[in-house]
Amino acid sequence: MVFKKYIIPRFIQYITVLFIGITLVFIIPRLLPSDPVEHQLNRMTAQGQYLDPAAVEEMRETLQELYGLKGGLFQQYINYWKRLFIGNLGPSFTQFPTPVVELIKISLPWTLGLLLVSLMLSWVIGTMLGGIKVSFPNSILAKIMEVLAMGMRPIPYYIMALVLLIIFAFIFPVFPMAGGYSMGAKVGFNLRFILDLFRHAFLPIMSMVVLEIGGWFLQMRNVASNVVEEDYVVYAEASGLPKLKIIFRYIMRNAIIPQITGLALNLGFIFGGALITEIVFSYPGIGTLLYSAILAGDYNLILGINIFSIVGVSTAMLIIDLIYPLLDPRVRYQ
Amino acid sequence: MSILEVKELKAYYSTEKYGHIYRVRAVDGVSFQVHKNEIYGIAGESGCGKSTLLKAVSGLIKPPLEILEGEVAYNFDDKILDILALKEDKQRRQVRGVRISHIPQGSMSVLNPVRRIKKSFEDIVDAHQKIKDRTCFDKMVKTHLEALGLDWSVMHAFPHQLSGGMRQRITIALATILKPDIIFADEPTTALDVIVQRGVVQLIKQIKKEQQNTLIMVTHDLAIHANLCDRLAIMYAGKIVEEADVDIIFNQPKHPYTLMLLKSLPTIGDKSIRASAPGAPPSLIHVPSGCRFHPRCPEATERCRKETPELIQVGEGHRVACFLEEGSK
Repeated sequence: MVFKKYIIPRFIQYITVLFIGITLVFIIPRLLPSDPVEHQLNRMTAQGQYLDPAAVEEMRETLQELYGLKGGLFQQYINYWKRLFIGNLGPSFTQFPTPVVELIKISLPWTLGLLLVSLMLSWVIGTMLGGIKVSFPNSILAKIMEVLAMGMRPIPYYIMALVLLIIFAFIFPVFPMAGGYSMGAKVGFNLRFILDLFRHAFLPIMSMVVLEIGGWFLQMRNVASNVVEEDYVVYAEASGLPKLKIIFRYIMRNAIIPQITGLALNLGFIFGGALITEIVFSYPGIGTLLYSAILAGDYNLILGINIFSIVGVSTAMLIIDLIYPLLDPRVRYQ
Repeated sequence: MSILEVKELKAYYSTEKYGHIYRVRAVDGVSFQVHKNEIYGIAGESGCGKSTLLKAVSGLIKPPLEILEGEVAYNFDDKILDILALKEDKQRRQVRGVRISHIPQGSMSVLNPVRRIKKSFEDIVDAHQKIKDRTCFDKMVKTHLEALGLDWSVMHAFPHQLSGGMRQRITIALATILKPDIIFADEPTTALDVIVQRGVVQLIKQIKKEQQNTLIMVTHDLAIHANLCDRLAIMYAGKIVEEADVDIIFNQPKHPYTLMLLKSLPTIGDKSIRASAPGAPPSLIHVPSGCRFHPRCPEATERCRKETPELIQVGEGHRVACFLEEGSK
């Protein structure tokens, strides 16, 4: 019953979104006036080599095959899906024979590690602080937190990142300036490498956490300050329930519902990478990969990252949709 | 014997705007006594301070509400307890729910939407008498619900799955599960249709009879008061203007405001247009000088504009705040 009424429609919706998104990814580059195959051929002939017209023709065929540009539009579309299902997104143009999937596979763990940790940290801390602020509105700590959050939030991210970098890597060289791990370090699952990883990830993560806490804090505060006014909280007070129970089971429990939606959406956006962080801290990741792909006009790579992003966001939405009824019983029976 | 004695209570809402402090004088010098085992009614227009009076009396004081002066003394088992003098919040919490309990206004949203009804019961019982034995707790709730004609199955529901009348009855069950000495009912019948209202009124009566508690009933619905209350106080603009047994209020009202209120009530079969008090209730920020009712009173004199009448005894348990009565005495 629940399965039929709740889960199946959402699953259909998920599949539809994926289908439309991935189709758009197919259509948009084909609307562009430039043809990547001609582009590639031009680059070769521009080097001044003499090429046999027959060889050029052959090369054109091969490239079209590789880039999935062979045949009519419909034939291309069918082939596109076929290749997607076997996990083949084509080769990268700039790093020619390497498949796009391979490149993404290398970058993704860095981005995931960085963004998951910073998102979870800032979400947990910001949400808790927001709840505390509303529960004890007149405490000095709460007031300080509010001023801090208000003051920090408008700081542009790149300034924050640069300031942290200058202070903690240049003036006081506690943390390394750049990179994901030390030059020449042996990649492996041992304590030394993990500590090295942590040291390199610390500043990028901090720069994001410090700013994002403010956002989560303010959002939680806004929702919770409405919840505090709700009749059920006032009634809980009037029935003499212990303060802690009111804070956790009545105020926080109700105010956290929109926070969880926000968290899920942000989890989906992780696949787009954190471009500025990765650039400022020279951190390897999806963001840098995408950036260089755009600069070099590497269509396959851009499309590959886009597909990952689409799958990421819509899967996050599906998951949140599926767990929402557990959080809010009012959704359950609709 | 009185279980609650309120003396000269002043509860204002203070707000500051552009450096100027505005005071909403919602409760302004109210004194009354409630006897044990009686149903005491408080009636008045919207915005006359009824609900604020209840908040202040039960010690639910949160800014911007402030208590300026006054005393609220409860008499539980011959021990006097001044709830406003209690320094610690914890001590107030110990009284609420066990000694004093609330049937709140707008019961539609007083139940936590993400908690099952049973959890709400658990919360309130656990807060005051730690639940040690589950079966014992279940039995206690079950007997209580049965006595109120509610089905055990509602315990597993979420609030949004129940009708308004059902929720209201559950709230009443929740408010009375620990057999409180004194119950404050703040408009318990508002937003319910008359059939459900009747059910709710009977439920309250029944509980009162069984648990022998004192009930303070606040509503603007005079019909409910006539049905339920032993004594009735009429409030106007933050003050009690008349207080007497219900029969006396309805049959021999003295204050011009009470007279007007009663004149506005419809009677079955009478189709003539009912008289109403001219004008509108005053702002509680800028209250009229002297007697607060004088701008709307047909019998106002010069004295009413300048001096404030005190509540004076005019008969057995009948108090009125009006200069006309002073003169006739």
